[in-house]
Amino acid sequence: MFRYLLKRVLIAGFTLWVISLVAFFLTSIAPGDAVMCGREEWSEDAYGSIDYEISAKRLGLDKPLFYFSLHSLSHPDTLHRYLSKDKKESLTNLVAQYGNWEATERYHHSIENCWSKIASLSDTIPSQFVNPVRNTCGDLRFQYKDNKIVAFLTKLEIQIAKDAALAAQLGNEFKAIQSSYQTLTDNPTRWKLYVPSLAWHGFDNQYHNWFSGFLSGDFGISCTDSRPVIDKIKWSLWWTVVMSIAAIILAFLIAIPIGVYAATQHGKIFDRWSGAILFLLYSLPSFWVATLMVVFFTTAEYGEWTNIFASIGLGQLSSSAPFWDRFWEAANHLILPILCITYPALAVISRQMRGGMITVLRQDYIRTAKAKGLSQTQVIWKHAFRNGLFPIITLFANAFPAAVGGSVVIEVIFNIHGMGLTTFNAINAQDWPVVYAIMMLGAVLTILGILIADLCYVWADPRVTFENRKL
Amino acid sequence: MMGKMIAWLRGKNNTRPATPARPQHYWGIVKRQFRNHRLANWALRGLYCFIFIAVFGDFLANDKPIYCKIENEHHFPVFREYAVNLGLATWQGEFFRKDWDEHNYQTKWMPPIPYSSTSLDRKNTNSKSPFGPQKIADFRYWHWLGTDDLGRDVAAGLIKGARVAMQVGMVSMLIATLIGVFLGTLAGYFGDYRLQISRARILCNGIAAFLSYFYGIQTRMFVLQETEAFGWELSKSIVLILFFFSLLNALVSLCKKIPFFAQKIRLPIDLIVMRTIEILNSIPGLLLILSIVAILDKPSIFYLMIFIGLIGWTGIARFIRAEMLRIRQLDYIQAAQSIGLKDWQIMLQHAIPNALTPVLITIAFGIAGAILLESTLSFLGVGVQVDAVTWGALLREARANFSAWWLAIFPGLAIFVTVSLFNLVGEGLADAMDPNQKQ
Repeated sequence: MFRYLLKRVLIAGFTLWVISLVAFFLTSIAPGDAVMCGREEWSEDAYGSIDYEISAKRLGLDKPLFYFSLHSLSHPDTLHRYLSKDKKESLTNLVAQYGNWEATERYHHSIENCWSKIASLSDTIPSQFVNPVRNTCGDLRFQYKDNKIVAFLTKLEIQIAKDAALAAQLGNEFKAIQSSYQTLTDNPTRWKLYVPSLAWHGFDNQYHNWFSGFLSGDFGISCTDSRPVIDKIKWSLWWTVVMSIAAIILAFLIAIPIGVYAATQHGKIFDRWSGAILFLLYSLPSFWVATLMVVFFTTAEYGEWTNIFASIGLGQLSSSAPFWDRFWEAANHLILPILCITYPALAVISRQMRGGMITVLRQDYIRTAKAKGLSQTQVIWKHAFRNGLFPIITLFANAFPAAVGGSVVIEVIFNIHGMGLTTFNAINAQDWPVVYAIMMLGAVLTILGILIADLCYVWADPRVTFENRKL
Repeated sequence: MMGKMIAWLRGKNNTRPATPARPQHYWGIVKRQFRNHRLANWALRGLYCFIFIAVFGDFLANDKPIYCKIENEHHFPVFREYAVNLGLATWQGEFFRKDWDEHNYQTKWMPPIPYSSTSLDRKNTNSKSPFGPQKIADFRYWHWLGTDDLGRDVAAGLIKGARVAMQVGMVSMLIATLIGVFLGTLAGYFGDYRLQISRARILCNGIAAFLSYFYGIQTRMFVLQETEAFGWELSKSIVLILFFFSLLNALVSLCKKIPFFAQKIRLPIDLIVMRTIEILNSIPGLLLILSIVAILDKPSIFYLMIFIGLIGWTGIARFIRAEMLRIRQLDYIQAAQSIGLKDWQIMLQHAIPNALTPVLITIAFGIAGAILLESTLSFLGVGVQVDAVTWGALLREARANFSAWWLAIFPGLAIFVTVSLFNLVGEGLADAMDPNQKQ
């Protein structure tokens, strides 16, 4: 038993590790600049400013991405030191065209020099001359296509030449850009692009920090409002767990008796009709039912009598209100969503229960029990039920993660701040740390569920033993 | 080989001797059993209707006439549209200059619903009820299921949605079936102990994978991103990758000359496949697909189908694996092995065809699930274009407009009916193929 448990935990750890790799890979290719997200007031010019650097460093973006990287020889190992995603991209693309990192870097520095020089220009130069120069130079910083760069350089030259003072102050910087770009285009070393090189970055990298943080309960920082992710999802996790547990208990309470009764009535009217009705319920898309409920039962749009339930959301009572008041308020708001999560599961659970019971009821010992003169109730609930429960255990394991994932759309419709709505909002705000932390948490829950189910097998059926089991 | 399947079926209940007069085909049995299932039969007929609507949707709802006569010239605009889309023809000049309702038609045959899913009826914006007043020229132009906020006809949208749903179900399940059958067969047929691969082959394929990644993808990344002709550049990459793999696999025999590399090692393929399935199933499905499609630069239904397929193969693989575990013990597989057939021959010609029929059940349920997943995603508005017309997207509009009950009822009903049809057919198939119920 212990050996089996150890093996399972090791496998679970491996699974989690692979999932973390997937999640991290998805984060790294996700669109949007993590530093910029949630800061609409920051324009593209913000890159290079002190604020930008501080934010980027707090998010850990100044570290290399992974333990190692595979690149061409021309690609620098130190690209991660450039904090902006756009800058990284334009530099990568320049390298990919010319294969000459030294020249690319020189070109980059000449632009950044010019850019900082523009920012520190004296006020005597009229702004109608400075502003276009600033805009063009700002655009130039993120360009990598030859025709665009040439066009912007020409434009810049004309704009600088318009004012004598401007030309005097920026002339050298502009010349530097022009000559460094010329050097870059004239000295391509494209052969370097085709030589692979493997770089080792050590353990202080973004993935390592993220994953070890995750294991110690620190899920990173939300990039929209710089709060720790754990604070953001603590309450949503609470509401989702409350809803899921309520829904699961409700589903099992309804479905198990139906399944057992249908098994005893095998082939009769109740069996057939309960099967058909539950099957129809199973096919009903829950987001449709939820929408219909919201449309018809939470508003007075179609007459006062249909406005039965509290409107969407969780109510407004403050946490200082008496416990029971808060409880009823929450219950009133949660009853429809819980119903919506519950009903699709009924068919699956009751069918499994029915199948398990039918098999059990055919056994000899049930006949013996009946022959001994036990009542039907005793036979079913005392002798058959525990053995018929066997297939349900798997379902119980899968029910919880399914409820967590399945409630996404229900939470969005009923506007309940659970994990689902948090994920949805985070996706819309491009807040990837939150999205992938939730994905990892969902995986952890699922793995735990499966592990618990396997242990429950042992409890439910003493015949099951995991010693020396050949998989 | 079907005969062997029947032999197996018979083996289960040997009570009745085979009737030599009427040889029973396996499919014949399944069909007969399926016909006994009345509900599933009706569901199958419903499915035919659904496929008809999806295929011929352009003739059922369109703002162009099927046939019209203008200035003594005959036109078939709906047909012509297909030709134009295929690049075989162009529109005649007058169809460029005017909208479809502005011509002086001598004769005009409109489709039953004279609106297309994207055509905006500007006189009937702001969600007109099917029972309320509508500003229409002729009763023929009545919006039977109402309009949405922009004045798009809901009935036309539903018909367009049927096509999207069918595409989603077919494409995603095709991908899922291919992956699932491939991996499930390998896992079930070879198990953990029977797949022996020489070190040379593993080494060569490893090198090929590295070369393909580096030269086929990484160094070509810039070209692939920037090019106008993406398909052309992509196919260049694919050719390069195929070249690496075939070259290095050709080198395997050379490599085997070294005794160390000639040694065979056991590849626990079952373990690998089952671990992969476990990993995929450990992430709640909707969360996984939400987090994947959310990062796409250009969201599109097409990507959605592919990702649903790439995630949805686990059920099929498990099913096939279980079937394979059973089939590989059967006499005829051992007979095939004993006469010296190669493993891949046995798998392709003898094992897979017998394992495949029960997979139909999983596919039927899988299509239902894929349609449901797609409509959930387009309901949430994640991973699809903003203006895409799908059932889920129509239903989403109901959330913004509580008073338009027809926007809430009809698209949902369409999803519900389609999903139940597929589920019912799956049920019927499962019953029909269940050997315990054979009569």
